[in-house]
Amino acid sequence: MSAELPEVPENFEPTAVARADAVRSRLIDTFSLIDHLRGLSQAVPRHNLREFLDPARQRKLMLGDHHQLVRFSIRPAYHRIPFAQRQQCRLRVCCNPWAPISLWAGWVLRKRIFINFVNCLIFLNTIFLMIEIELVNTTDVRMLPIMMALEVGSWFILFVFILEILLFWLYNFFLFWKSAWNLFDFFVTTLSLLPEIVVLIGVTGESVWLQLLRICRVLRSLKLFARFRQIRVIILALVRALKTMTFLLVLLLIFFYIFALAGIYFFESYSRSDIQDLEYQMYFMNMPNSLVTVFILFTLDHWYALLQDAWRVPALSKAFSSLYVILWLLLGSIIFRNIIVAMMVTNFQAIRNELSEEATHSEMQHKASIFKRQIIKRRLNQKDGEKAKIRSSSGHIAPQTSHHSASLLTGEMSQTENLTKTSVPKDFTAPQEYLLVSDSLVDWETHVHQNLHGLMEMDQDEQVVWPRDSLFRYFELLEKLQYNIEERKQLQEFAVKALINLKDN
Amino acid sequence: MYMEKDYILCKIICIALGYRTSQVKLTTFCFVQFFDRRKDTEYCAYVKRFIEGRFFSMLMISTISLNALCMVLQTDYDIKNYLFLVFEVVEVLFVSVYCFEFCIKLYVDPLGYWKNGYNLLDVVIIIILSVPFHVRKLFGRHCPYLNIGEGIQSLRILKLIPYSRGIKTLITALGQTICTVASVMILLFLLMFIFAILGFSLFGSSDGGDLNNWGNLAVAFFTLFSLTTVDGWTDLQKDLDERGFGLSRAFTIFFILLGSFVFLSMFVGVMIFHTEDSIKKFKKELENERHVALLQEKQNILKKQQEEVSRLMQKGTNSEYKTFSELVKGFKKTLRHSDPMVLEDFCTTLPFIDIYLSTLDNQDNTISKLQELYYEMVNVLNQMLDDIPTKKRSFSSEKSVEF
Repeated sequence: MSAELPEVPENFEPTAVARADAVRSRLIDTFSLIDHLRGLSQAVPRHNLREFLDPARQRKLMLGDHHQLVRFSIRPAYHRIPFAQRQQCRLRVCCNPWAPISLWAGWVLRKRIFINFVNCLIFLNTIFLMIEIELVNTTDVRMLPIMMALEVGSWFILFVFILEILLFWLYNFFLFWKSAWNLFDFFVTTLSLLPEIVVLIGVTGESVWLQLLRICRVLRSLKLFARFRQIRVIILALVRALKTMTFLLVLLLIFFYIFALAGIYFFESYSRSDIQDLEYQMYFMNMPNSLVTVFILFTLDHWYALLQDAWRVPALSKAFSSLYVILWLLLGSIIFRNIIVAMMVTNFQAIRNELSEEATHSEMQHKASIFKRQIIKRRLNQKDGEKAKIRSSSGHIAPQTSHHSASLLTGEMSQTENLTKTSVPKDFTAPQEYLLVSDSLVDWETHVHQNLHGLMEMDQDEQVVWPRDSLFRYFELLEKLQYNIEERKQLQEFAVKALINLKDN
Repeated sequence: MYMEKDYILCKIICIALGYRTSQVKLTTFCFVQFFDRRKDTEYCAYVKRFIEGRFFSMLMISTISLNALCMVLQTDYDIKNYLFLVFEVVEVLFVSVYCFEFCIKLYVDPLGYWKNGYNLLDVVIIIILSVPFHVRKLFGRHCPYLNIGEGIQSLRILKLIPYSRGIKTLITALGQTICTVASVMILLFLLMFIFAILGFSLFGSSDGGDLNNWGNLAVAFFTLFSLTTVDGWTDLQKDLDERGFGLSRAFTIFFILLGSFVFLSMFVGVMIFHTEDSIKKFKKELENERHVALLQEKQNILKKQQEEVSRLMQKGTNSEYKTFSELVKGFKKTLRHSDPMVLEDFCTTLPFIDIYLSTLDNQDNTISKLQELYYEMVNVLNQMLDDIPTKKRSFSSEKSVEF
């Protein structure tokens, strides 16, 4: 786009056309014209860095503002900058008098060898634990060196895990706590350390809790789950399915509460009766027992035996107790359990659809980029052999009214309001242009229609640098183009009307 | 406040009942007076805002939770003895809060109150609240149904549901499945009925029969339900075996297959189907709403911008700003070619421009072809118009020749 552009008549006040309005609003947005027109143009950037570095201009600028302050406007990037990249630019790392440990820690953590090493250690840990469990009660003297070796190996592995956590803290302390997998690692490692610390503090004796804590070493094997991508995907899918069911579980808890409390009162005479040999007397005695009983009924276990036992007490009203039990069975065990199953099934189906959607999304993007190349190529071809092409292909392009093409453009232009990002494929070397063959069977309009959606959905970002006045001119011309197209459409309609009226004459 | 359609409905009812004109007028006048509280609409709006505000919902949620906790504590005899007075006072407090909520909601909207299901639930719970008191009064202290009355107080926690949006949406989504559930239940009941009568006549009617389990219809139903949920059915079968009913095994197994395997699995399948349906519908509705809201927002922004620009144009000191381009002429002068602007919008990218221009070219081609077709059509019609008189003449001449 050159600076010299053809002039368009200035005083041209047209009727309202939606697409032209969209273009104008885009213009106003891009240049912040409203702020400028209101006189708030201080907020609008008017100078750029090149002017500032030029000493002559700089003096003029500085004299313009008596505080000698200049406002900078930084364009925000739309894509996230990862922490590793950002870290290299930080002052703490660049201007450190000592060596930048965080940089080194990040490098170590990302090294493939280190990751594989830690994975192997986790495996080894599991094997050590298995062997240890087998040998823990033998009094065979020959096994003692093996047990010592296993113990030392276990401790070594624990220290490596602690080292890994320390490395991550060195790299970025706050980022560590934001990831759930890291929290799990931390939790497992501290659990392993806890018995030793407790012994150090001075709590003596082989209490049951210490034994349990020692057994928690086996949880270290679960760290393996975090390492492999497939398992992560499955676990994340499970967690998502459970998350959508939280309200269902809350509703279930409410119903548990209602029936537990009601059960205590309904079976009061049963709990307090003096008849001997009542098997289930404690079942509705107080709230904890009642909750457990309600859960037992939920799992449909021995409900009839419980009911028959309760009927042995004459003071209990048979109707209400059986109504209670039958209602709870129907509501909780049959209806609720099946609702849970149904929701799990729908959730997994939704997750599966999403995964397949991602695959189709990337496929669509590929198709969209091919489509772009085709259209551009077509245009270049058409420029060369225009006349010949018209005569040869007039056969199978059906007469379409301009209404269709106008609607197509509406679709395109209305999308300009969304800040969708598209991209030119990085390399124009087309791998497969076989779709061009099928092109000729389909007219250009259906072809564009088919691929327009994919074009809109493309979300690779590309930045274009425009000179400012050219951009302004571009928007103006685009707006006037819309008006012209609209006018042509109206002329077309007049022609059609004239044609129809001709017949009557 | 009344709705227009209610007013018209009232009129129609009056006319249908055959009132004379003066009576119709009187009735509609009373209707307007009753429902048109133009005097206190401001206070009504204030109360309505209060009800929909956060403070009220927080108050209700905390009251109901506290009530639930107190009811749990009351089940323990020792605690109940120790804190008896506290519980009494707190109970009065809770009942007063619930009645206050009922009255205030009724005041805001007397007719519309009854259309909301959750408000009906509130009314039912208030009735339930008064049950123990009335039972105690009517039947004395030692009525066996007293603990039933206290048992159903636990339903109070259901009041919590309307204040939680998640559970409300869940219940709305699942509410569609109620019909299916009911129909499957009825089917199961019918099946059990048939088998109950069969079982009663086979096993329970004769003297040596299993009167314990199949003696009368109610017990037979219970036995069959036990078979459906396959809990302890081997014991029931053992009972029948001991009495010598060898063929009862076929009966039991057949019913278990039918009732438990077929029916309950069908239940699961039907629920899955409907849950999926209703959830999909629900999600689509949400998305539509969001889409419509987004579109509306965009329109608003566009309209605001246009208004702003036209306002600025009119506000101009002289009337020299006739068009938008004149308005921004001054701004255009400040733009320089060396200033870069980095944009990421789709409408300013090169592919878009290429595609747009090529599509425009295609459109131009199509339109020019259309124009050619029009010209052709006009030509043909013209020719036809010219041909018709000559044809007529030749035809008449032919006819005359024939004769």
